[in-house]
Amino acid sequence: MTTVANTDAGTSEATRPVFTPVDPELAAFIYLEARLADESRYSEWEALWDDDACYWVPMREGDDPQRNLSYIYDNRRRLRSRIAQLNTGSRHAQTPPSRMRRTVSNLEVLAQDGDTVTIASNFALHEYRYELTVWAGRYVHRIRTGPGGPRLVEKTVHLVNGHGAVPTLAFLI
Amino acid sequence: MTTLDNPPAETTEAANPTNTFDVEALVRPDRVHGSVYTSPEIFRRELEQIFRKGWVYVAHDSEVPEPGDYITRMMGQEPVIVARGKDGQVRVLANRCAHRGNRLCNAEQGNATSFRCPYHGWTFSNEGPLVAVPMRNGYADRYDSLRGELGLTPAARVDTYRGFVFASLAPTGISLLEHLGRSTDAIDRLLALSPAGELQLGAGHMKHFQNCNWKMVMENNVDGYHALFTHKSVYDAVRPAKVSHQPAKVKVLVRDLGGGHSEIDYSEEYEKLDEEFVWFGRSPREKLPAYVSAMEAAYGPERTHHSLVVGPPHTLIFPNLFLAEMNIMTVDLLAADRTVAYTTPALLKGAPELNGKMLRRTEGAMGPAGFLIADDGEIGFRNQRGLAARGSEWLQLSRGLESDLDNETGTVNYDKSSETPQRGFWREWARVMGASA
Repeated sequence: MTTVANTDAGTSEATRPVFTPVDPELAAFIYLEARLADESRYSEWEALWDDDACYWVPMREGDDPQRNLSYIYDNRRRLRSRIAQLNTGSRHAQTPPSRMRRTVSNLEVLAQDGDTVTIASNFALHEYRYELTVWAGRYVHRIRTGPGGPRLVEKTVHLVNGHGAVPTLAFLI
Repeated sequence: MTTLDNPPAETTEAANPTNTFDVEALVRPDRVHGSVYTSPEIFRRELEQIFRKGWVYVAHDSEVPEPGDYITRMMGQEPVIVARGKDGQVRVLANRCAHRGNRLCNAEQGNATSFRCPYHGWTFSNEGPLVAVPMRNGYADRYDSLRGELGLTPAARVDTYRGFVFASLAPTGISLLEHLGRSTDAIDRLLALSPAGELQLGAGHMKHFQNCNWKMVMENNVDGYHALFTHKSVYDAVRPAKVSHQPAKVKVLVRDLGGGHSEIDYSEEYEKLDEEFVWFGRSPREKLPAYVSAMEAAYGPERTHHSLVVGPPHTLIFPNLFLAEMNIMTVDLLAADRTVAYTTPALLKGAPELNGKMLRRTEGAMGPAGFLIADDGEIGFRNQRGLAARGSEWLQLSRGLESDLDNETGTVNYDKSSETPQRGFWREWARVMGASA
């Protein structure tokens, strides 16, 4: 398994190294997205998304969401429902919400396609809810840039333990 | 192995009634004692009485479609390999090297004609026999007899019903068909939705850690009472219930099928509505033209209409299989208070149009991030913690006891919030755990 770093990226383009520096505004956007998720600020988090949203947590890297079951594969409509459910206050699995802090690091630009930039990163998330649970993995953000500021198009979360059993994942990862 | 008659007393409370193993004292027609969810001794006895001696769902044969295909699973807490031999037969083999007990196969799934133990290189065919031992002259003349005797231990009994593979680790006992009893109707009802009459469980299983007893995970599936409360956030924020929860307004019934099997049955209400796909987001049939025409080609328009009206089953097959409408769910037992729930969509052979939508529906409802099951898992955890308070030690099962009706389909109750399914589950549980009644 020597090619994991490339397949991790979720793009075939990654076979050649890319050393593009990450735009500080996009890095700031990713950190904001992380903090809003950490603080369960659901509606503010939802407002970061564009209309063609795809929020995806596969079970394994390399899975095809049209053939393989995912933990989460939300389009914009499903995402809206997810947020609406969390906002009811009776989503028991997040009532009260988990206390969380995540560290996002190792940001790399994977691709730049017109106004859309794909950035991969690593994350470690500490979740406290009855006990401390550590989640870790790789994020791939696709962000659309424009005069109105960055908008989130895709967020893929490759969990290091996605192929095994995972605890309840009702918070925003 | 501990013997059942003389178990070690490992619970700390001397007064705990489970120390007596008096199962009859724990399960009554209208209540069940909380220790059935918490006692490590009872958990160990379940592994022996239910998960070794009884029939247990192991896998679906579509998970190993080709000769050489295998998956690894647990029966209770025992690892097994489910493998299809070159003869086409599906076998359930102990996942344990016959030499020194090393877990032989360490992949979740794959294709192999043989398994080679990484410890000392002993090799077994995927049908069980020992086929090679390195440096065999170390065994001198005994090699031939070793080779004949030391295969992978097969499950004592393996049988299938329409692709569902069940096994028992006890050589004697009732047949699979006797065990399944009336619950085969539920499997038939599910397969009636496939133009080919077959499932293809190939999408992978979500595996969800839940900090509660395995029986809470299973039992909750046929609890028709909890949905309005546990799943309030879904009804408030996402979509209303498919049909009313008020018993006076709907003909939704719960049924104890006997043998511990039980269900919530919407079919009478759906037949009254005479509307297709109520169970599938009320999708109009025009949106699934290829599926509907494949169904009509296979079954004719009338049977197709009926199948599409009544939809899939919502049926618990004792002890560890839940036909969750268009999902298949089972459990791994880790400890008395720790369970892994497995869920996969019940993909239908010959229905690609439906299958793609089913992936998204499963993700929406089920698993660790599901709109429904994440909350069931949370409630299960709190249930497990609440049981630690021992002032009042019983859980109620009496709801609807006076309005249960016996008929040729089992014991039914037209109030779906009745605890009829749970009463059936616990009666069977007590029987197999050793109660004389």
